[in-house]
Amino acid sequence: MTWVKRFIPLLFLLAGYQILLTNLNTQRSLYLEKDYINLTLPSQFTGPMALEFKGLTSDILLFKFMTFVGSRTDKIATFGEEQWGHINTTLQTITDLDPYFWDAYLFAEMFLALQAGRIKDANHLLQKARKNIPNEWRVPFYIGFNHYYFQKDYKQAAAYFMEASKLPGAQSYLANLAARLTVFTNQHQVGIIFLEEMITETNDNKMKASLEKRLLTLKMMAFLNDKVTLYREKMHTMPKTLNELITAEIISELPQDPYGGEFILLQNGQIYTTSKLLQQ
Amino acid sequence: MKSIRRIVALTHITFIEGIRDRALYGITIVALMMLATNILFTNLFGHELGKIMVDLNLSTISFAGLLLTFFVNINLMSKDIDRQTIYCVLSKPFSRGEYIVGKYLGLLSLMITAIFLLTVCSGGIAWFVKNSVADYFFRTFSWTCYAQAILYIMLMFTMLNAVVIFFSSISTSAFLTVLFSVATYIVGQSIEEVAFFFKGEAVTAGYSSKFNEFLIDSFQYVVPNFSAFDIKTMASHGKLMSMNHTIALIGYTVIYSLLLLFFASHIFKRREFN
Repeated sequence: MTWVKRFIPLLFLLAGYQILLTNLNTQRSLYLEKDYINLTLPSQFTGPMALEFKGLTSDILLFKFMTFVGSRTDKIATFGEEQWGHINTTLQTITDLDPYFWDAYLFAEMFLALQAGRIKDANHLLQKARKNIPNEWRVPFYIGFNHYYFQKDYKQAAAYFMEASKLPGAQSYLANLAARLTVFTNQHQVGIIFLEEMITETNDNKMKASLEKRLLTLKMMAFLNDKVTLYREKMHTMPKTLNELITAEIISELPQDPYGGEFILLQNGQIYTTSKLLQQ
Repeated sequence: MKSIRRIVALTHITFIEGIRDRALYGITIVALMMLATNILFTNLFGHELGKIMVDLNLSTISFAGLLLTFFVNINLMSKDIDRQTIYCVLSKPFSRGEYIVGKYLGLLSLMITAIFLLTVCSGGIAWFVKNSVADYFFRTFSWTCYAQAILYIMLMFTMLNAVVIFFSSISTSAFLTVLFSVATYIVGQSIEEVAFFFKGEAVTAGYSSKFNEFLIDSFQYVVPNFSAFDIKTMASHGKLMSMNHTIALIGYTVIYSLLLLFFASHIFKRREFN
């Protein structure tokens, strides 16, 4: 009977432990789900606190960033100013701790520029990369892309593309692209080249799928752009809507925007989508 | 010649005593487990796997070295005094200076052996991970940089163990030695950044003064600059430190450690044991 007396309290303690642990895990999940990336301290604190483990700390912070963003791929469109601010701080801290960490700069372009449209923040980080990794051709290429695609500063974009084309490992098309950019060209084509480059760089399947969707949309827009040019050559006038391409039997039907929006023809002859490349 | 023989004998005894310490096995097992988890952790990243792996391996070696210094080596130093076995040693024809040097070399041999063992294991893991993924993910990996970072870690522990010997010679308890040594390590890791701040940003912002700068300069002479030994980030990106930097650091380590041993033996000579 002695062992029963000993066993019963243990049983109670184990049952209590199980209940409390489950409750704690639920509470932690709610907390982490909410916004756990805001725990990242700026590098002024993190740097000295990391002592000689700055590289390791940057790895852990990047892992935290990947977990946070990776588990919310579908919800990224709902991120507010505060969350993007925390993401920016995290990437700044990571690159302060390890200024040569290419992954962090790549994520800055992928998320801050492409997803959040925070071009200034992305360019700020990429300029840091330009200083610390001067032989990496993708750095000026990404800055050039941001100037071209988002900021519509074609002169600066051409200068950055030219800079990228001179660095080791640069794609052969870059010099030509830079030359072509001195005059206004088809911006979708630049986006396609950019996204194809990013897809080859990415190992993360979720991110790859997201980029491929964007690439497919841009390819559709480039396709429609080409068909509008064909219509103009054939009819000697601009179509008023994209449906006129079907009437003129240039295309059989309008492609479906993978983001759920609708392709429309702007007055300046450019193709636009109502989804703005965000899931509807 | 006789003096060297006595020092070697003491070095040998200290080394054997250290090897028998159970804490050493615990630290080795923890370090080996940490190294093994690197295989899993490295593969969680998408691009620079080589950088992640080098960071993890070198940090593990460094962390194990710190545990060994603060928990085994300090214990080995203070044990003689706490258990009063030092009377047996000092009753032999040993000078106190020889005792300090012998103990230091013993601790250093223990440290070098442990780092060597961990280096071999981490090298095996690095080789395995490197061969299990595409070369693209290890573009910046360099065995030379890896070896250089290990050499720098060894140099840091050469100096840190001299710090331990110094504080053991002046303090009366192991706890105080741990406290002083850990504090010196933390200050040593941050002093360069603090000096950089006071001479740069603080001057621009107008809240530094000549006195502050003088104070920091003086402090830099006294406190060992441990951050100079930290080249893990550089090694993880395949960046080799220049030969001049390495030679300067080796010189700094040797001179600073000798100075500490000199002071330690002089203090120890005057010390009275109750």
